[in-house]
Amino acid sequence: MSLPMTVTANQIVLAVVLPLLAAFLMQPLASVSRPLAKFLGPLTLAVSALLLVAIWYRFGGAPFVVAIGGYAPPLGIVFYVDRLALLFATLVPLLTLLFWTRGEADADPVRRDAVMLLLAAAATGLALSGDLFNIYVFYELTAVASFGLVTLQATGGAYIATVRYLLLSALGSVLALVGIAVIYLQAGALNLAQLAQLAPATLHDPAGLAAFALLLIGFGVKAELFPLNTWVPEVYATAPARIAALLAGLISKLAVIVIVRLLVLAFDGTGAASLMLALGALGVITGELAAWRARDLPRMLAYSSIGQLGIVFIAFALPGPAGVLAGLAVALHHLIIKPALFGLATRWNGSLQRLTGAARSAPLAAGLVVLFALSLVGVPPLPGFWAKLLVVIGLADLGTPLALAALALVLLATAIEANYLFRLVVRLYQAPATDSRPAAPARLDVAVASLFGLMLLGATVAIDPVADLLGNIARETADVPAYIKTVFPDTLAQRS
Amino acid sequence: MSYLSFESILYTGAIGLIVIGTLGMVMSSHLFRMVLALAIAEAGANLLMVLAGYRGEAVAPILGVYPAGTAMVDPVPQVLVLTAIVIGVGVQALAVSVLMRLYQSYGSLDVRVLRERFELDLSKAAGIGPPGSQEAPAGERPLPPPIPIAARRSELGVPVGGARAGESAP
Repeated sequence: MSLPMTVTANQIVLAVVLPLLAAFLMQPLASVSRPLAKFLGPLTLAVSALLLVAIWYRFGGAPFVVAIGGYAPPLGIVFYVDRLALLFATLVPLLTLLFWTRGEADADPVRRDAVMLLLAAAATGLALSGDLFNIYVFYELTAVASFGLVTLQATGGAYIATVRYLLLSALGSVLALVGIAVIYLQAGALNLAQLAQLAPATLHDPAGLAAFALLLIGFGVKAELFPLNTWVPEVYATAPARIAALLAGLISKLAVIVIVRLLVLAFDGTGAASLMLALGALGVITGELAAWRARDLPRMLAYSSIGQLGIVFIAFALPGPAGVLAGLAVALHHLIIKPALFGLATRWNGSLQRLTGAARSAPLAAGLVVLFALSLVGVPPLPGFWAKLLVVIGLADLGTPLALAALALVLLATAIEANYLFRLVVRLYQAPATDSRPAAPARLDVAVASLFGLMLLGATVAIDPVADLLGNIARETADVPAYIKTVFPDTLAQRS
Repeated sequence: MSYLSFESILYTGAIGLIVIGTLGMVMSSHLFRMVLALAIAEAGANLLMVLAGYRGEAVAPILGVYPAGTAMVDPVPQVLVLTAIVIGVGVQALAVSVLMRLYQSYGSLDVRVLRERFELDLSKAAGIGPPGSQEAPAGERPLPPPIPIAARRSELGVPVGGARAGESAP
């Protein structure tokens, strides 16, 4: 194949531009030829995934910067491409492709495909962007696209969930905008590398911390951060399960990555990490308790995802590369498991009682649920164990009262998690009480879930190379001078 | 230098708008009012953004109109606000359009009414009882054993009869 040889650094913008262009071309193309429009979406996503993989091979993960339109930073907007950004940017088209809604049941499949492409484009931009305001714009685009996808089922419940999600998200955006304004007032810069240079002098004070708190609230809405996650169960219960899989698995992680970039580059060593740790710990315990109370599968998964995201926040709040490594491990682990479970819940969407004996009609799907449940709880040697171990060791090393309290909450939450997940598993393998059999998940959903299950098993077997790769990515992400040097190779770097 | 400078009044106004809008969104129970409050908060945030580049003695940043060397206000926040306004209008329009659909299907925009119906709808769709109901309590705890009908009858003073009368005889 010749593509990996000919790819250049600047072509990475195509990963954002192509899906965006295809989204706008979808409607006119559909009026010419419906079948062509149907294939445009998957084709575009496949091309952009291939492009990102090719860039990964071509540059071997060495970080580089692409100045949009040729305008040099700090005035121009840049895409900062290191392995963290590339990893998540590649995951966007891949996961969107896996959870591409093929059903023709929706009222307007053309519009749905267009909005899916818009979501993919915006999410890719979110992973790559190296400019605070550009991140805000991509974040808003992601939000608007996800509102459109949540209303797909066009029921009254879906509209209520969307409105509440939209209003909370919009309020978060306003507060994030205020945070950006405060940062601009304090530092006079929006480029992340320049902010990293100026932060010790301008942002490490109460005003800077307030700005971080505002941004945390703003981006925390999508990341299911503790007080801002009331939309999660409503949206995941009313949206199509594949959309819930994308939002819970992918989009929430991208919002977390944005917050982590800010934390590492501009707010390292301030109270910002403690704030994240506290909110994460509250998210873990509230999410898991609510999941324990849930009586239907989609809402159980939704609440459990709040708890998992809480652990992600706790992990990323740990200092240094160890924190980034723990966070990446937990985040990727959740990214593999939760979409697969939501995919299986497409047909198993009723109450838990209805699932009694479902293993008889769908043995493979039930087996996968057992595997995912074991890994989520953290049974060795599955990857979930190593991810949780990293968090626990990190918290114990940190040793502050807050960290120890978070440690206790994580362990307590694990016990609660084990209780409700194993209750689900037991139910699946019980003899059905009535003669009504629960529907088996669609073959495609089982296939996708099997793929994720194989990835999980692969990571279990090859835990050493995976840990090495994640460790390298974590070290690279936590290396602030290298980030600054990549964006400003000669001029501004000498000043600091 | 008085504390009540022109700039400080503008800052107070911007932050005041944000506070009013946020409080309005949190405290209102009508969805359309929440959208209006959102618009107010957004105006405040945009004003704060413009103020970040404001300088009292400077002129508008247009090249060629003023002699070279004239102090100009920072153009970057103005560009950002232009983007933010467009995004804000888009999101508000989307909110209003979803509100219209919502009103068509539920006939109300009151949050309290909607929440009740929404919970019922969700529970019905999932095939479970309403939240907090006796039939299916949270966490799958066992139900307390039902009180025998005969015992309840004797409590109410209803004369006991039939085949199971022996159980409740004093």
